Amino acid sequence: MTQFLQLLFEGVSLGATYALVALGFVVIYRASGVINFAQGAMLLLGAYLISWMAVDVGLPFGVAVLAAMGALGAFGAGFHRVALRRVVGQPTFVLVMITIGASIAVSAAVEAVFGDNQRLLGDPWGSSTFHVGAITVTWVKFWGIVVAAVALAVYFSFDRFTRWGLAMRATAGDEEATLSAGVPVGRVHALTWALAGAMATLGGLFLAGFPSAPAHGLGDAALRAFPAVVLGGLSSSVGAVAGGVLIGVVEVMTSGYAPSWLGTNFYAVAPYVVMIAILLVRPYGLLGVKPAERL
Amino acid sequence: MSRSLARRGALPAFAALAVALPFGLSASNLTTATFVVIAAIGATGLNVLVGYAGQISLGHAFFLAAGAYTGAVLGEDHGVSAALWIPAAGVVAAIFGALVGPMALRLKGLYLAIVTLGIVFIGQHVLLNSAGISGGPQGRTFPPVVIGPFDFSPGQTLQLGGLTIDRSGLYYYLGLVILAAATAFAWSLRRTRGGRAMLAVREREAAASLMGVDVGRAKVGAFVVSAALAGVSGALYASYLSFAQPTQFNLDMSIQFIAAIIVGGMGTAAGPLLGSAVVFALPSVLKSLPFVPEEGTGGISVGDLTSISYGLLIVVFLVLEPRGLVGLADRLRSLGRRSAAPDFTPAISLNTPEEAHP
Amino acid sequence: MSEPLLSVRDLTLRFGAVTAFAGVSFDVARGELFAVIGPNGAGKSSLFNALSRVYEPCDGAVTFDGRDFLRLRPRQLAGIGIARSFQNLGVFPALTVLENVMVGRHHLMRAGALRGGLGLARAEELRHRHAALEAMEFVGIRSLADAAVQTLPYGLQKRVELARCLAMEPRVMLLDEPVAGMNAAERAEIAELVARVHAERELTLLIVEHDMAMVMKVAERILVLDFGEPIAIGTPAEVQRDERVIRAYLGEELEVAA
Repeated sequence: MTQFLQLLFEGVSLGATYALVALGFVVIYRASGVINFAQGAMLLLGAYLISWMAVDVGLPFGVAVLAAMGALGAFGAGFHRVALRRVVGQPTFVLVMITIGASIAVSAAVEAVFGDNQRLLGDPWGSSTFHVGAITVTWVKFWGIVVAAVALAVYFSFDRFTRWGLAMRATAGDEEATLSAGVPVGRVHALTWALAGAMATLGGLFLAGFPSAPAHGLGDAALRAFPAVVLGGLSSSVGAVAGGVLIGVVEVMTSGYAPSWLGTNFYAVAPYVVMIAILLVRPYGLLGVKPAERL
Repeated sequence: MSRSLARRGALPAFAALAVALPFGLSASNLTTATFVVIAAIGATGLNVLVGYAGQISLGHAFFLAAGAYTGAVLGEDHGVSAALWIPAAGVVAAIFGALVGPMALRLKGLYLAIVTLGIVFIGQHVLLNSAGISGGPQGRTFPPVVIGPFDFSPGQTLQLGGLTIDRSGLYYYLGLVILAAATAFAWSLRRTRGGRAMLAVREREAAASLMGVDVGRAKVGAFVVSAALAGVSGALYASYLSFAQPTQFNLDMSIQFIAAIIVGGMGTAAGPLLGSAVVFALPSVLKSLPFVPEEGTGGISVGDLTSISYGLLIVVFLVLEPRGLVGLADRLRSLGRRSAAPDFTPAISLNTPEEAHP
Repeated sequence: MSEPLLSVRDLTLRFGAVTAFAGVSFDVARGELFAVIGPNGAGKSSLFNALSRVYEPCDGAVTFDGRDFLRLRPRQLAGIGIARSFQNLGVFPALTVLENVMVGRHHLMRAGALRGGLGLARAEELRHRHAALEAMEFVGIRSLADAAVQTLPYGLQKRVELARCLAMEPRVMLLDEPVAGMNAAERAEIAELVARVHAERELTLLIVEHDMAMVMKVAERILVLDFGEPIAIGTPAEVQRDERVIRAYLGEELEVAA
């Protein structure tokens, strides 16, 4: 029972991180209909930037995190400006492929610049823990859940209650109409990508937190957030969170309980298996909606 | 008219060049060329799925693996002749294609892309845990191609008249023959009912359906063709390498094929050929660049440099010339022809075009 | 009197709380040119989409040639002889004109992907290419065979769609706003083309349209919708005189002025 609860906690924590990453996807998708395959690479870059700034440059951790979020936000906005804005109107496939291309380039560049070795993240929590009953709670994982919840709440209120949130949704619905209504669509897109970049950084921070470390495998771990996004339904932020937590729990539970005939490291593909199974029944994810097609 | 005439002249020239190529290349360059030719078979298949039918698939590596390991099991574990295991590789991969294809009916765009991504991971996982088929993480050997008097085993050569063809050359020519057949098939497909159905599905699925196109059949058909060619390509690839590990059939491999058809020009006949030449020769080209350090020493690794290049190539081409190298060639050609009259005149008068141009 | 080809009874379509149209009933006789008109938002296009099995009506019945039409799936329409054009252009942009029209021949051809790829379908291709070119000739775009459709001006793209419909060798053509977005000259050309299609090919035509002039000129009978309700049905002359129709299009003011 204790093991179950322990794993459950770990699963929710991992899930919260995936939820952060997934939310980054949803933010961009809701604003522009583009699925950003580069989210994982941005996550990787974010984690490495934090590590570099906190450990090598010696900045205080909080500053490093904020600086990395800013840098990645700028990167995201810049990427949109340079690459995506020029291909407006092309089929989604093209946009998706561009983000895939960016993803490959960025991941490889990070590895090239920072090298293959594991690094220290430079966070103040390390492996410190506290106890709730018989469960060991790592501070990093605890903060992961908290930050994810806060980020979610912030995004929610932003989306529902501010003009910019409305602008983002309007742009996603009909960009031309929104533009002619006087909304600075270019800035909306920049904001969207900046938000996604910031979320990617946060996600990267916690994915790279104990017991992991900023390492090459981080990009692959981020790929496991895809099923979270897909499961939740690309357009639903609640779905992203639900999907993220579900996938996190599935992954950790299978690593603990999976029978050996499923193969070693089954937990790494479990998210995809679950995703495919659910998609076959609900092709637009748990909470997704079939997009309307104009005839 | 002038365009197809140019093509008629170009095709035999190109073919002659392709046949003569091995004799003008160094050993290592010939190896690269052989890989390019073998990969181009797979790229031609992916072009049918992505270029014709418009289905986003990141799962190509899975079908290559299916073909490769079919060849291994039949050819090496059961001593079957290559004349059988090469086609069998295509057939088995095609069966997997028929199993994956129906997913494209339920899932659109991004959802399909991520599911195909999952298939690559799941495939790798299964292979890594099936040591009997794949040799586990350490990998296994793959059978050389032996058909009658033609023995492609390591160290073998073929004497033809005064010419000596080494192992690389043998694989090159075999690959070339299969590639020519595959390209002819894809070309012919494009111009007939089945191919048009795929294109219609890509362009406007709902309208296509109202015209009687069986959308499901078109999509699954595209998956089957794509997988079959990938299977043959994978089997030849592994056979040529003679040793491979399951981890080689990964997402990176899928991406390489995607890059190849984007760079070459999606939906065209020459696209997969041109794109493969660029993408699959890239690693050796980069290795020979002066500022790239040797393996193992510090600095940027060839692998990273290659990946960065793939990524940049994809982005640059899609942003600047989405029709790939074929599109680029078209543009250059029309620059030269700018003074010539356009092919048609839009109707601006009350006359129908027929009356304006009798 | 022969059976009507198309028979619609009490057809109703709702999207949640919004009623697209309700209680629509009409018959279309074989070889007739029937038009459905009405002000913006009247439900004409929704009716069309229901008649091409894209939308599922929530009430009512449709009989086509004696068969229960509502049991059919979109893909079966071509086979029973129904062709439709689209308001927002249903042409395949990146394909050539000839390729577009050849897709219209799809349901009349048999070769699958395998035979096509192996080069075993040449004879069939040639035969149907002739038919496609003929349809293009009728519509006046034969010389544009190899042009990429997306490079053509709007009016020509509409003709491509028309040629494609003709190439399907249908018994009924559903034309969704065939002259939308055109200038006066183009409208006259298309109107003439539609009339010619009707006369020379003896097809049954069902047209949804906005442009009164065109409809009054070519239609034999007209159904008028307003806010999803049928308000008049009859010949052009009858419909033009109908008070409800006049009110729907011009509002109450005319009555007062008169």
